[in-house]
Amino acid sequence: MNIRQLTQDAALKLKLYLATLGEPLDKVHEVISAGDAGLRSGELSELTIITDLKPDGARNLRLIFETLKGNLTGARKVGTLHDMRFVFLENDTKLLFCTCYDGDWDTYINDFATKIPEMMDLIFGNIEGWPGIKSPSVKAFILSKQITASAWFVSHPILTVADTTRLEKIGAGLNKLLEL
Amino acid sequence: MFLKNLFKRTAEKIELHDIQAIILRERPLPYHGVNVFLEIQDGPSGKVFLKELLPYITSAQNWWDSDDAWLSVAFTYEGLKKLELPAATLQSFPDAFKEGMAARGQKLMDINENAPEKWEAAFKDSGNHIAVSIVAKSKAELDAKKQVALRILSNHAGIKLRIQADFDTPIEGNFNHFGFRDGISNPEIEGSGAERLNKKERPIKAGEFILGYANETGNKYPMPQPLVLAKNGTFVIFRKYHSHVAVFNKYLRDQAKTKDEQEMIAAKMVGRWRSGAPLNMCPFKDNPALGADTAKNNDFDFASDQNGKIVPYSSHMRRMNPRDTKMAVMSDVNLHRIIRKGVGYGVPLAEGSTKDDGVERGLYFIAFSAKAMETLEFLQKEWVNNGNFVSLKNERDPMIGLNEGKGTFTMPSDPLPKRFIGMPTFNTLKGGMYLFMPGINALKWMCGVSPSAIMPTRPNY
Repeated sequence: MNIRQLTQDAALKLKLYLATLGEPLDKVHEVISAGDAGLRSGELSELTIITDLKPDGARNLRLIFETLKGNLTGARKVGTLHDMRFVFLENDTKLLFCTCYDGDWDTYINDFATKIPEMMDLIFGNIEGWPGIKSPSVKAFILSKQITASAWFVSHPILTVADTTRLEKIGAGLNKLLEL
Repeated sequence: MFLKNLFKRTAEKIELHDIQAIILRERPLPYHGVNVFLEIQDGPSGKVFLKELLPYITSAQNWWDSDDAWLSVAFTYEGLKKLELPAATLQSFPDAFKEGMAARGQKLMDINENAPEKWEAAFKDSGNHIAVSIVAKSKAELDAKKQVALRILSNHAGIKLRIQADFDTPIEGNFNHFGFRDGISNPEIEGSGAERLNKKERPIKAGEFILGYANETGNKYPMPQPLVLAKNGTFVIFRKYHSHVAVFNKYLRDQAKTKDEQEMIAAKMVGRWRSGAPLNMCPFKDNPALGADTAKNNDFDFASDQNGKIVPYSSHMRRMNPRDTKMAVMSDVNLHRIIRKGVGYGVPLAEGSTKDDGVERGLYFIAFSAKAMETLEFLQKEWVNNGNFVSLKNERDPMIGLNEGKGTFTMPSDPLPKRFIGMPTFNTLKGGMYLFMPGINALKWMCGVSPSAIMPTRPNY
C-alpha cells in the first residue's frame, strides 16, 4: 500500500467517524459467515444469487408473479422466510435473487422437496442448470451460484419469523384486553 | 418373557435376508448384550477376521417373529480405510461420515458440556474400527455367541479388543434409568414385511432407512460405491450418554411438593408417564396397563391437542416425533425419523434418590438411517437444541437437550403457560461415532469372498 492510499483510508475513516458521531459498535448487529456461503446476523441468514435464466425464464416468472400479485404461495407456509426479491438483469437474461431466512438454508431443503416441490421447480426451474428440488445435487447447485454479501443490516436479528408471528398475536391479544 | 408386538404381515419388498438383524428386529425382553469395538492393526487380518465372522452375522429375515440372539457388525470410516477398500470406494462416502462425529461437533451442537474434547478417551482417537453388537434373550445365549466371536478374535493378533461394554435391561421390563419405559416408538417401514398396528402413522419409504431403495421423494439417497457395497446397508449413529438420574430426581423435587405433582411434571417433560402410557391418552394419571400395551401405547396423534395443553410441544416425545403437530416451520416429519435400538448401561440408582452415588449409568444411543449424519444434524440443531420449530425460541429438549443449568421448559396451561427455569442437562454426551453397517452380501464383497458368492441368493443366515 502506498502513501496516497494510506492517506485516503485515514481520511475516509475520519469522515465515517464524524458521520456516525463515534457511536459505539453494537454487538447485536455483528455479522458472521453463515457457513459455506452467505452472511449470518443473529438467528438470520442472507442468500444472494445472480444467475443465467433460461430463454423464456423471465417471461414465465413475470407471468407467475403477476398472477400471484406478490402472494408467493407456500412462502408463508415455510415459516422461516423473512423476504424474497427477484430482479431481472441484462435484458431479462439474468436473475438477481435475494432472500433472508431463519437458521441455515440447507436444513430444510429435503422438506421443500416433499412439501412444496411443484412451487420450487415452477419458480427456480427457470434458472439455467436447475437440477430440480428433488435432485441430490440441488444443494451443491445453489451453493455454486451463491455470492456472499459484503454488508448486511438486520434491525432485529434475534427475531425469527415464528417469534414475530407469536409477538404479533400477543400484541393483538393484549390490545384487545386493554380495550375492554 | 419375550413380549411380542402385535404385527400385521404386509408385503415384503426389501431384501430382508441381506439386511442385518439389528436394524429391524425388536430387542427381546429382558435383553442381555455386549457392544465391542475393535481396532484393526493390520488390514489383511481384518479381512480374514471378517470372513470368519460372516457365518454368524444375523439377517433380518422374519424379523417380526424371531427372538434368537443376533450378532451385527459395522465399521467406522477409519475401519474401512484399515480394511483397504478401494480408494474410489472410500472417496464415495458422505463427507460427514468421513469427517466423523467429533469433527462435526459444531453442526451437531455437541459443544460445551457435550464437546468432543470432554468425551471419554476411548472415543477421542481414531482407533475404533469395527463394532460388533450381540443381543440375546438369555445370558446363556449371549455367552454362546460371545464365545464364538472371542474365539475368532483370538485367531488374529492383528485385531485388538479396545472396548467391551456389557449391558442388560437396566430396570426389569425395558425401563430407562430415569424410570420411563424405553424404545416404544419406531417408524413403520414400507415393504418390510410387517407393521405394528398403528392407524395414525403411515409406513415410511424403505429408502429413508436402508440404502438402495426409493426414499420419500422417490429418489435414492447418495450411496457409497460400488452398489454391491451400499445395497441393503445403512448408516449408524452411536452415542454414549451419561444419565444424571439424581439430578433429574432433585430437579423434580425442587419444582413441586407432592409426589403426584412431581410425577406430572416428569410426564410433561417426557410426554409419557413412566409406564409408557402417552399423556394424551390418559392426561391425569398413569395407566400402567396402557403403557405396557404395545398395540395401543403408540397409536395416537395430536389432532385434539394442537395447543399442547396436554402434551407440551417441548416434551421429549413430541419433539422427537411431532406427528401431526401444526409446526411454526414447515417440516416433513417422515424425513427426520430414525430407527432406534438404544440400550442402557450401568446399575440403576436407588429409586427416587436425589444423591448421586458416583456410579456411571446411562444409554448407548444406537440409531439407523440411510442419511444418518444429515438426520442427526437436523435433530440436534432443530428439534433437540432449539424451539423455533414450535415457536419456543431457543428452548431445548428437557431430557436430551444441552440445558446446562439455564434451560427452560414451557408447559402450555390455563390460563397462562407454566415455565420451568434453571434446568440442568440430564444426559451428557460421553462419546460418539458414525458407522456404516453393510448388507450381508456387501460384507462378503468387503472381505474378498469370490464374486460368484455375491450373486443374489436367499441364504439361511
